Amino acid sequence: MTPLRLMAATFAVAATVGAGGTAAAEEFTVGVQIPLTGAMARSGTGMSEGIQTAAELFNKSNAKHKIKLVTIDDESNPAKAVAAVEKLASQGVVALVGGFGSNIIGPASDAASKLNLVYMTAGGVDNDLTKRGHKNFFRINNTQGYERAVTQLFEEQGVKSVSIVYSTKEATADLAKDLQKSLAPKGIKVTLHPFDPAITDFKPIINKIKLQDKSEVIFMSAYENDYVGIIRAAKVLKPEIKAIVGVWSLATSKMWKDFPDLMPNITGTSLLPYPVDYKQPEGKLFNDTYRKMFNKDVDYLAQFGYVKATLLFEAIARAADGGSLKKGGLADELRKTNKETLIGRVQFDASGDNLNFRHRMGQHQDGKIVIVSPKSEATGPIVWPGLPW
Amino acid sequence: MNAMRRTAFALLAVLYVAVPAALGSNNYLMGLVVSSLIVAGVAVAWALLGNLGGMVSFGHAAFFGVGGYASALLTMKLGIPVLLAIPLAGLVAVLFSVAMLPALRLSGPYFALAILAYAQIFRILATEMEFLTHGSGGISQIPVLPTIAGFDLSSRTGQFLLLLTLLAAFLAAYDAIRRSHYGIALRAMHDSEDATRVVGVNSVLLKSWMLFVSAFMTGVIGAVNAHVINFLEPDYAFSGIWSVLPIVAAIFGGYRTVTGPAIGAVVIYLVDQLVFKALVSTGHQIILGSVLALMILFAPDGLLPLLRNALRRMRGASHA
Repeated sequence: MTPLRLMAATFAVAATVGAGGTAAAEEFTVGVQIPLTGAMARSGTGMSEGIQTAAELFNKSNAKHKIKLVTIDDESNPAKAVAAVEKLASQGVVALVGGFGSNIIGPASDAASKLNLVYMTAGGVDNDLTKRGHKNFFRINNTQGYERAVTQLFEEQGVKSVSIVYSTKEATADLAKDLQKSLAPKGIKVTLHPFDPAITDFKPIINKIKLQDKSEVIFMSAYENDYVGIIRAAKVLKPEIKAIVGVWSLATSKMWKDFPDLMPNITGTSLLPYPVDYKQPEGKLFNDTYRKMFNKDVDYLAQFGYVKATLLFEAIARAADGGSLKKGGLADELRKTNKETLIGRVQFDASGDNLNFRHRMGQHQDGKIVIVSPKSEATGPIVWPGLPW
Repeated sequence: MNAMRRTAFALLAVLYVAVPAALGSNNYLMGLVVSSLIVAGVAVAWALLGNLGGMVSFGHAAFFGVGGYASALLTMKLGIPVLLAIPLAGLVAVLFSVAMLPALRLSGPYFALAILAYAQIFRILATEMEFLTHGSGGISQIPVLPTIAGFDLSSRTGQFLLLLTLLAAFLAAYDAIRRSHYGIALRAMHDSEDATRVVGVNSVLLKSWMLFVSAFMTGVIGAVNAHVINFLEPDYAFSGIWSVLPIVAAIFGGYRTVTGPAIGAVVIYLVDQLVFKALVSTGHQIILGSVLALMILFAPDGLLPLLRNALRRMRGASHA
């Protein structure tokens, strides 16, 4: 064999091996529609980082399938979210993951449904989202999980009266009203204080709580900017309460970093402590990878992003293996999910809801988030009474 | 028919055919074009009020939101067909604009601020009238545009054709008013309202009519938008962006011209979403802001007069 022929033969073998390698690792594009700017940016960024980590880990551990993410910032705007979904669809994505805020996820997932694309989220808990009859809509969390966690905290602390300050948006109003229904039969006095999402001065509401309600706890069913306004007003007026409790996007490291004067002893929903202390190997791997990628510790928003994306990627791989991916079989494959994840067991019902979802409560303590409820899963004692002042 | 009108009609005919032919298969691009036409519709309505009525409004979101909610409720609560609900929503916006008539006594920044306040009042009404509007939770599953004679208006191409038709109608109405005796009177009012009144022009009545026409146009566009996006909430429907973006678009395109605001809206929306957002995926608005600042500094009359002057210079150079 002449040197030239030898080179040609070597090249041919290399090309064949290379081609074989490429064919084995089939690549699927997944669209990420998420708020990276605007009112929901803080939460959207956390979720987005979790999704990126999920893709990194999936691609490392899966030789047959690769996931490529295409991310579009929906600017916390429903119309831009719809445009993002349409753009991602035009780029040939096999599914969509992301969204934050029920009022944005609603139209975005409507658009995805029209395009027959699976939409997986952890950012919209509005009860109506799963009542639309969409076959392609899935979410790993819901209002009931938040309601159970808050109710358990109040029971454990023997709370007698609560003033619920809630934004009149769909998801926050649903949670406030559901919580009132579950607390009243337990003998806990509940007073509701709805507020227009546009208001920024909460002093009149806090004054009412201070002078009229005289409740033990202020519970906030709202979003990040509202929390800041409510706690700031409470810090000024100092009502005689024992605690301020909230829900999503509150017990996060980012909130402590941005508002260290407002967060001490504030309690919110959180599935894991901060700094994170995973016991299971999957959690440790997720944390290590996340730290390498973003140079910070995981928080629960990133974890939600990771879990929802991982479940989606695994379903894509299963559907691809089973030959149903291109025939619209991804939704059916997701519906077969029955897996223990970092947020507990996930199983979807016919409407795409994860009925096993149950949250925990975390408290800001000196820059850390300590899981304080349920007591059986607490990573430290709760500071009660405990206020930022 | 003069040369400019012939050109406008020819351009319109080309747009009807060329855009769906070129982009019809791409939902995303058609979606952006549809969104840009929605902004264009409000920009034309805003420019009409500013140019003919002499009133600078910072609150067109009020008419936009009222139109959207009116059409959504007319179709969902009363079962009125979507294509009938859209003009009715325009009339509801006119009805609401009657509440703004006292503000016509004001001028300049006072009028602008008063209209801004009205927009806030309407947004709060939409939030508080929960029994009707579903409050801050908003209204979802708003009916889509219908299918007429086998043609699906809810498709992106259908939405485009409907909006282009409305925009063309608005521009024709604007041009007709501008050329009429009323238009002459309105322009005379710009120079001296007192002098115009002395010669017998009822300036308050004329300004009221311009407010009604502008409110109707904006309400109709708000209604179409509601049936395009199928969702409304007060923060979105009455968002300040519906007041600010049309102003920016009109000034960018040349708000003293009839077609400038529409062209400005389409250009800035598409360039921002297709070019600036591709360059800077988060925070792309900063580039748009810089371009607008430069435009206002160096070409305060807007894009259309700038292009016309450039064209004239080129013709002059070729003749010389």
